[in-house]
Amino acid sequence: MKNTNQKSVLVGIGNAGVSVLDRIAVEHPSIKETLVINTEGASLSASVTARRIAFPPCQDGDLSEGFLAIEEEFMAAIEGAPAVIFCGALGGELGSFLIPALAARAKADGITTLASVGIPFSFEGRQKREIADAALRKLHDLCDGVALIDNDRLAGGVPSTAAVGEAFVAADRALQFSMLALRGMLSTSGPVRITRADLAGSLGIAGAMTHFGHGMAKGANRLHEALEEMLRSPLLTIAGKGSALKEAATVLLLLSGPADLSFAEVQRTVSEIERVAGDRCLVKVGVLADGYADDPLEIYLLAGSGGGSRKATPPAPTKTATPVTQSSSKSAEEWPPARSQPSLDEARAAKSKKSSAAQQTQGVLNLETYQRGRFDKSEPTIVEGEDLDIPTFLRKGIKLVSPFRH
Amino acid sequence: MAREQIFVGLEIGTTKICVIVAEGRNDGTINILGVGETPSRGVRKGEIVDLSTVSDCVREALLDAEDKTNVEIGNVWVAITGSHLRSFNNRGTFILPEDRDEIVDEDLQTVEINAKEVALPSANSFLHTIIQSYHVDGNENILSPVGMAGSRLEADFHIIHGVKTRIQNTLRCIESLKLGIEDVVLSSLASALVVLTQQQKDLGALVIDMGGGTTDYLIYLDGAVRHSGVLALGGDHITNDISIGLRLPIARAEVLKIQEGSAADPDQVEGGTITLKNDPGFHGCEIDRKALNTIIHHRVREIFELIRNDVEAGHDGMLSMLGAGVMITGGCARLRDIAPVAEEIFDLPVQLTRAKEVGGSTQTFENPQFSTAIGLTKYAMAVSDNQPEESLMQRFAQGLGGLFKRRS
Repeated sequence: MKNTNQKSVLVGIGNAGVSVLDRIAVEHPSIKETLVINTEGASLSASVTARRIAFPPCQDGDLSEGFLAIEEEFMAAIEGAPAVIFCGALGGELGSFLIPALAARAKADGITTLASVGIPFSFEGRQKREIADAALRKLHDLCDGVALIDNDRLAGGVPSTAAVGEAFVAADRALQFSMLALRGMLSTSGPVRITRADLAGSLGIAGAMTHFGHGMAKGANRLHEALEEMLRSPLLTIAGKGSALKEAATVLLLLSGPADLSFAEVQRTVSEIERVAGDRCLVKVGVLADGYADDPLEIYLLAGSGGGSRKATPPAPTKTATPVTQSSSKSAEEWPPARSQPSLDEARAAKSKKSSAAQQTQGVLNLETYQRGRFDKSEPTIVEGEDLDIPTFLRKGIKLVSPFRH
Repeated sequence: MAREQIFVGLEIGTTKICVIVAEGRNDGTINILGVGETPSRGVRKGEIVDLSTVSDCVREALLDAEDKTNVEIGNVWVAITGSHLRSFNNRGTFILPEDRDEIVDEDLQTVEINAKEVALPSANSFLHTIIQSYHVDGNENILSPVGMAGSRLEADFHIIHGVKTRIQNTLRCIESLKLGIEDVVLSSLASALVVLTQQQKDLGALVIDMGGGTTDYLIYLDGAVRHSGVLALGGDHITNDISIGLRLPIARAEVLKIQEGSAADPDQVEGGTITLKNDPGFHGCEIDRKALNTIIHHRVREIFELIRNDVEAGHDGMLSMLGAGVMITGGCARLRDIAPVAEEIFDLPVQLTRAKEVGGSTQTFENPQFSTAIGLTKYAMAVSDNQPEESLMQRFAQGLGGLFKRRS
């Protein structure tokens, strides 16, 4: 993705944040507005990101001291930026504290704040998940939008025999693409653009998971290949349900590529997403066609569901930025937070849903998955822009009764 | 008068490779001596994607045919298909020199060359130039203008062309087996030669050859080819749709299609379930018959609609002129209830058909899967009949003719 005049600053917090920003620095050297913050150590000293801030060691674990020490340097680094996009893993001490704290500080200066954060894998333990949930509630209060990536869902795209390190690499990769997506969307201008209000509207729902897809391809068949890769992204799939798009309330779509990116390609992409997501979903598209001729076509997709797919309790209704020091000390008192209990209404709703599901003898197949099956590697049969290798019943949206397994 | 001669047709299909060895009889009919067959590997949508694997399969099929017929095969007639093949109709014109008013053989060649004076894509080459009719000084539909008086000769041709390198891949595969190639023939043209009678060709018929990887179609009207096309869609797509829709392995889906599948409108047939038993690595399940039929019906319907739209786009109103209706052949012709779907789409009478006016192995010519390969031998006989005796002898002498001989 080519650099633009927009100067949204990407801020990576903690080890995960440094890792993600380093990947961006290496793979997208034109993106200069980057900053990483981490405690002193090998991760920070080896980082290749343009700006680095060392978070000082704090006595008695009081991280607010460290925050006050770096606050000025942080504000200097983001000076003049219209938006800041934070990135890191929640559940750890530094990321869970610093991302909400810095977001509140930036927000207090009128800067748009977005965050792309990862929720720990289940195998990292319950305590980490609870810390992450608490931090997430704060983020939803303080940020204009939060892209939430559930690492467990990423595990679907990693072989079960893979090393633990590979799972974390996949998580970093997802954060990287979501950062690039958010940055690209903020950079769009002209008639086909995504506004900050669009981003806030799509990513501002507390507790809602962000479903995320990315595809990239070059050549004559680039649109088809990029679309296919994007729709197969592990984060676009909900275990047992198929494509997450069918539950999406809003979809933000960014097409980034060379200057010859055509209107037809944009139109085809939108119609494909609309076909999969259904009529109720609001699709907003932004285009960044300022790349070089040999740049690939990249499609980024962020889909916001109706919320509540995680068990985080809704945040307090206030949307004003909480004073940083107060916020941090309060959050320290709350940790580890008590497990949230579902309300009576939620419990009734869940029971009712379970009951109606039990009455069905056979489920209805998910038909929205973009599949070519045995023709996956074949030259596609395209007639009037339609890929006829995809089953007819899928393209026509015909529902089938699924097989009943013994 | 036809000479008794042996012809070998080779079809490299997506699901099978078959070799038909046939004998041309003096009465103009074909007698099938035997068929060599092997499952196809390395072919997708009618085109070769793995040359060495396909060569191995072709070798197997040839050896099988030799064993069954006791004929040593030296040369073959080869069928070709693929989505790269295109066709169009064009008219060539030739003004006779002022000092001559009689049309001679050379004029027919000149008018054909003139008809081919069109700008094909640079990667393409001509496959067939099929005469439709001649016109002499405005006198339409002359069958044989040689010897007639005239000053202006015109001719309409149906011209078929394709991507040169893709055609060459088929030729290379055969040449790697040290076989001679007599000619390369469009699959649907070969099929039409044996599934249509001369009367049907005159009345007008649409031949649809639905194979595993492609669906080839061709229209005869007034005894001449008027339209042809290839869709890279076939029985494999139906199987794939079943596999995806019902979450079954491809092999299971193929068996289910053959044993239980129907193209009938699912709203007009009874439902029920089909039980698939446990197999090693496969948990049994119950399939909703309506779901299976829905998948098949919509795919088949779509294929026919694409053909109809293509024909109507090129020749508005031609379908309504086809007095003999639609003939469906190829492996998919065996799919249950396929004819009513075609009848609904084309609004024409539909017949499931196979090779006609052929003798020999009943099992072979009654199977619509072999229509193309049998048609190749018919095509070979027709071409040989049109060759002057001397010319054919010369071709033998030059080692270019049919080098078939009985082994004992």
